[in-house]
Amino acid sequence: MVKLIGAIFIIVATTVIGFEASRHLSERPRQLRDLKSALQSLEAEIMYSHTPLHEAARRLAAQLSKPLSTFFDGFAGKLIDTETTVKQAWETSLREVWKSTALKKGEFEIMKQFGETLGRHDRFSQQKHIMLTLSHLEREEANAIQAQLKYEKMVKSLGFLSGLLLVILLF
Amino acid sequence: MGLEVDIIFKIAGVGIVVAFLHTVLDQVGKKEYAQWVTLFGFIYILFQVATIVDDLFQKIKSVFLFQ
Repeated sequence: MVKLIGAIFIIVATTVIGFEASRHLSERPRQLRDLKSALQSLEAEIMYSHTPLHEAARRLAAQLSKPLSTFFDGFAGKLIDTETTVKQAWETSLREVWKSTALKKGEFEIMKQFGETLGRHDRFSQQKHIMLTLSHLEREEANAIQAQLKYEKMVKSLGFLSGLLLVILLF
Repeated sequence: MGLEVDIIFKIAGVGIVVAFLHTVLDQVGKKEYAQWVTLFGFIYILFQVATIVDDLFQKIKSVFLFQ
């Protein structure tokens, strides 16, 4: 009886791990899409309504959903409260929020490089930098979607099957 | 006798699960992992069977040969 309960626990645990991993995989394209729309809104704020950066970041934070909204919130807060450059504020708030996203190293580098250009040029070259970042993110998104299609199902069944194997080996 | 039947079921179970793992890993193109999984399953079962065959030989020895 106790053995049976233990076996059920093992299978449930590994299955949950598998589902969690597959959720991570399906979350990444969604967050990349959010990131892209955030940059597009930022471009609109800069080009058409000439909003100051902290104000634009605050508006973006209000528009977006959870992990990215905390990023823009932190960025706006740092710009107002502390004596810092845009680049530093961008990078530190990026680092703070990165652990809670499903995004990877490549996107981090892209965003970091974008942060280095932010606020240093006139509006038109800023727009060009945003376009460049968007195209990079687009490439990453295509990769992420491919990885999702390929691995999502595999990770789920792998979790369940490895639990089953473990149970049989231990029984 | 009960023990022997248990072990047969165990071997069958490992075989089925390893076969599933192999197909799943094969489908997504992780051929090398699939081969490792199969190899480890095979080695594990080999050990099980080796101990049983060892038992058998001991018994034969004790029946036919001098102690």
